[in-house]
Amino acid sequence: MPEFSKMRKPDVKIVILGDMNVGKTSLLHRYTERKFKDTVSTVGGAFFLKQWGPYNISIWDTAGREQFHGLGSMYCRGAAAVILTYDLTNWHSLAELEERFLSLTDTANHDCIYAIVGNKADLTGNQAQQVAGQDGPTEDQGEGGGVNPPSACPTPPASPVLLSRVTLNKQVSREDAVSLYGRILRYKGMDESNCLPADKMCFETSAKTGYNVDALFETLFDMVLPSILRNRTEREQSPTVDLEDHKETGKRTRARCC
Amino acid sequence: MGTERKGTEAVIHRRLRNQICSSNGWVDACCAAEMSVKAFELVPAVARELLMGDKARINIECIECCGKHLYIGTNDCFIHHFLLEETTTKGTLSYSVQKQLVRYLGLKKPVDALKAASALERLIVLCDSTLSMVDMVTLEPVPSGGSKVRGVAAFCINENPVNGDPFCVEMGVISARRRTVQVYMLYEDRVQLVKEVTTPEQPCAVSLDGYFLCLALSSQYMILNYSTGAAQDLFPYDSEERKPIVKRIGREEFLLAAPGGLGMFANAEGVSQRAPVNWSESVIGAAVCFPYVVALDEGFITVHSMLDQQLKQTLSFRDGHILQDFEGKVVLASTKAVYVLVPLPLERQIQDLLAGHRVEEALTLTEGAQRNIPKDKFQILHKRILQQAGFIQFGQLQFLEAKEHFRTGQLDVRELISLYPLLLPASSSFSRCHPPLHQFADLNHLAQGDQEKVQKCKRFLITYLGEVRSTEGANGCREDVDTALLKLYAEQDHDSLLDLLASPNACLLADCAPWLEKHHKYFALGLLYHYNGQDAAAIQIWVRVVNGELQDSTRSDLYEYIVDFLSFCSNLDLVWKYADWALQKDQTIGVKIFTLRTLAKNQTKDQTGQINPDDVITYLGKHNQALLLYLEHLVLERRIKKEKLHTHLAVLYTDRVLSLLAQSSSMDAQVSAARDKLQLLLRESNLYRVQLLLGKIQDCNQLLLERATLHGKLEEHDKALHILVHQLKDFPAAEAYCVWGSASRDAGYQQHLYHLLLGVYLDRDIPGSSSTGPGGSNGTGELEMAAVDLLNGHGEVFDAVQVLGLIPEGWSLQLLRPFLGRALRGSMHAHRTSQLALGLARSENIQLHHDRLKQRRSPVLVSDQKGCHLCHNTFSEPDCVCLPGGVPVHTHCAAKRVVPDSPIKRQLANTSNHT
Ligand SMILES: Nc1nc2c(ncn2[C@@H]2O[C@H](COP(=O)(O)OP(=O)(O)OP(=O)(O)O)[C@@H](O)[C@H]2O)c(=O)[nH]1
Ligand SMILES: [Mg+2]
Repeated sequence: MPEFSKMRKPDVKIVILGDMNVGKTSLLHRYTERKFKDTVSTVGGAFFLKQWGPYNISIWDTAGREQFHGLGSMYCRGAAAVILTYDLTNWHSLAELEERFLSLTDTANHDCIYAIVGNKADLTGNQAQQVAGQDGPTEDQGEGGGVNPPSACPTPPASPVLLSRVTLNKQVSREDAVSLYGRILRYKGMDESNCLPADKMCFETSAKTGYNVDALFETLFDMVLPSILRNRTEREQSPTVDLEDHKETGKRTRARCC
Repeated sequence: MGTERKGTEAVIHRRLRNQICSSNGWVDACCAAEMSVKAFELVPAVARELLMGDKARINIECIECCGKHLYIGTNDCFIHHFLLEETTTKGTLSYSVQKQLVRYLGLKKPVDALKAASALERLIVLCDSTLSMVDMVTLEPVPSGGSKVRGVAAFCINENPVNGDPFCVEMGVISARRRTVQVYMLYEDRVQLVKEVTTPEQPCAVSLDGYFLCLALSSQYMILNYSTGAAQDLFPYDSEERKPIVKRIGREEFLLAAPGGLGMFANAEGVSQRAPVNWSESVIGAAVCFPYVVALDEGFITVHSMLDQQLKQTLSFRDGHILQDFEGKVVLASTKAVYVLVPLPLERQIQDLLAGHRVEEALTLTEGAQRNIPKDKFQILHKRILQQAGFIQFGQLQFLEAKEHFRTGQLDVRELISLYPLLLPASSSFSRCHPPLHQFADLNHLAQGDQEKVQKCKRFLITYLGEVRSTEGANGCREDVDTALLKLYAEQDHDSLLDLLASPNACLLADCAPWLEKHHKYFALGLLYHYNGQDAAAIQIWVRVVNGELQDSTRSDLYEYIVDFLSFCSNLDLVWKYADWALQKDQTIGVKIFTLRTLAKNQTKDQTGQINPDDVITYLGKHNQALLLYLEHLVLERRIKKEKLHTHLAVLYTDRVLSLLAQSSSMDAQVSAARDKLQLLLRESNLYRVQLLLGKIQDCNQLLLERATLHGKLEEHDKALHILVHQLKDFPAAEAYCVWGSASRDAGYQQHLYHLLLGVYLDRDIPGSSSTGPGGSNGTGELEMAAVDLLNGHGEVFDAVQVLGLIPEGWSLQLLRPFLGRALRGSMHAHRTSQLALGLARSENIQLHHDRLKQRRSPVLVSDQKGCHLCHNTFSEPDCVCLPGGVPVHTHCAAKRVVPDSPIKRQLANTSNHT
């Protein structure tokens, strides 16, 4: 068997998790290609290599479909940052982060950074809608009648909040995301006071308009820099990894959703 | 993000874009359209007749290939041995098969697996859950030197053995009943169990690399380090529902069948470093033949690229049930026959991709093959592919991408230029490379008559050449590049044409001149001639444009440009040749040929390109206006101090004034402007011949001021003042005359002039003034008032005592009060100041006396032990200087340090004679 070439080894890994249809692939497209284009539900997973200064950062886009759920742990193994993505107009997608995706991150690095990202901010009638202009043939995305279409995900809100017509689509408040962040830290057994604060780690983005997308990725790139440097030194020292390391974490009790 | 990073990012993006696309699954939708790559060819190896003839129940169960040896195990417990010989006829590869031995194992059970241990010349056979060995050639059983390994469900060979012994084969074995995996070392004479590991579930497939066992269990995959016992769960997989695949594809890397029909990659650390490929759910076998993953399912062989995860090729294959790779050779089997999946040469694959305009994929494939091709060969290939890719994109007007590929592919820029008809100079030695990099004959062929396309391409070439010019890329073909660029600029009416010609360039004159003419770029043509040292031709062209013989509106001020050009031109013949032309058009502008020119510095060695002003003056004789301007230039601007020039200029000025005065139609303003110039020259210059001028204006009563000035030059101040006071009656002018006349002279001279003026004012014997009667007395009164004003206004310059003697008796004290008051105060002040100075001098004198006496009282000690305080050397002679405080220093040291007039110096003077 020939020793074929491997791709340039990335210095660090960032993984995007989240339910199907929340816009993970779209976010990554927006960041890397500066545009919003049609996507198809991701099969398996894919990754981008991003050159960030002298470093190579791999960003894994995972599949949200239930069918591929089992692969998540493997993608997360050794991740330095995980982007937990939900759809701001779909309360269920936030709940799923805790129900289904959080446990996948057990294989991530012990000092992994977690970001909670509410995407599709353009549908919530806040400022992101106005951040128009970042081209892309996306204007015809069914915005007839001035009312934004409901999210393609038909799940009803878990808490039957009565929403006015104006904020029709916004089903997840920032507070919900912030409190999820707190629960994640508790789940990880991390001391909140030693961790990055929730207001820095909870983002609202729009892959469609580009709102906050660069900020999200570039904030994370800066935050994983210590991991990069550590990886570089470790790689010089020993190539093996203690596989036992991760055994315990999976058995910890999960915090339940409200 | 910085632009410098763009290049690498572009490449990465390109690759990754493809990855994302493929993983998103649109391959399913697009494969029909996209799959034109032929990466592999399926070549029959062993036909059905050779194996089982038409016995329908006999099936192939397993295969093994080792070098030329092909072994086939069947369900009726036979092992068939063949020799496979590759033959290539007319570029197509085929296999000829020689049947060797056939062996019946005598069990009526299927042969489940065969593996060659070539170092031991054995074939390991799995049949009836038992591992045994046969000789590779005779297929005779070989005693394994002990108990057979029984209860085996599956086994694998370690392709990355940990044992250094080349005659030892390492084997991973799955037990059929117990949840264990065993590792054996197989020697020539024995089989040794090295390790037994229990697994949480029943294992059903295994692969071994180093110490790492990659296992498919009934509900998941895992990686197990049998040396440390460390285990790593990979991901869930229902092995009962679907056949798992565990395929070692390289050092510590495995390919696994994953839920949803994925092919997942995992390394020994349990990390996926490549994005998965998207197979079908029913995949049976998979292998890697770099850079492709080939997989077999119920009806097809699929080929995915590992570089971009895209599906590249699908080959239909019925009844397939085995796909395995043996030392890079992918062998497939249906139940009845064996085939080899032969990869097409990489270059051909790449060319196929390029032919389908699939640039990104072609490049990805090329770059992915880097490690498999020798470096120098790769570089040549890579460059060529980049260039071809560039041309494809160029043809699609994707200029940014094309440029990037031309640049990275180090394209000979002439390949591109040669696409544009007539741009390369006729003398260029260039010929396109062979085989050609593209299929375009030329730009017209490419554009198919679409003029807009042609224009776009031309604009692109302009920017591209502009950029290439400044890089090494143009080395060796600068003439071609610059000539092409010039032609494009000219044709496109581009502003940079002139910049190109005005800066260092390698445009070929012979080729460019007709082109510029054709496009009426005569100004540019002149520049080109000039750049090539043909100034005469340059000017000739330009003059024809100015004269209207040729049309070129590049410069509306071409005439001025020519004048300017001539003023710098070092070829004097040319200057003289065209000076007349220039002067005839406009003397004031034409004269700049001479005035802008740097003048000959006297006696400089290099006189080339220098013009003698006298020649110019002679030459300009017939061009009055120009001559005047030229003289003004020499005298007023260059301040050349030559009597001839000054006199000449003064005479010209005078003539002009006189002629203006003579014409009744002259305007006052004209006259006064001309006079101002004359007066200024007369006042400021000391070089002209005064008498000559005086003679010229002697008879003109309107030029009194000029006459006064001329008298002044002759120091005939009384005459001058007389004119000013009595004829012009211009008292301010008279006073100004005193200031002018005594400028740069001493105070005495000034006083002298003022006294003269006073005298003129008070002179009663002026015929004109005394004879005028009442008017005269009026005049006298006027003069007296002027005298009073002069005294009161400039009292300080007068000698008061003398003045008192001059003024008429009858003047009242009151009249001269300001003058007298100031005179008195002045003399008082002088008196007191001198008194003060006297007192100060006295006191200083006394002070110094005191010091001297003090110094005298005690001796100044000088010895050769004690050095001088200033230079620290010892004293060699008794002479010394005593600083205040009695410090002795060398006389010369003191002299050096002391600033003249400082108190120390004075002290010095007093003490230097002591020792
Ligand atoms: N309005 C709006 N729509 C979005 C945005 N981001 C994604 N979408 C749409 O949401 C749908 C799903 O987007 P994807 O990016 O494919 O979602 P995903 O999370 O990758 O989904 P999976 O790959 O199945 O896990 C697409 O129709 C997108 O056009 C956004 O910011 N605003
Ligand atoms: Mg996706």
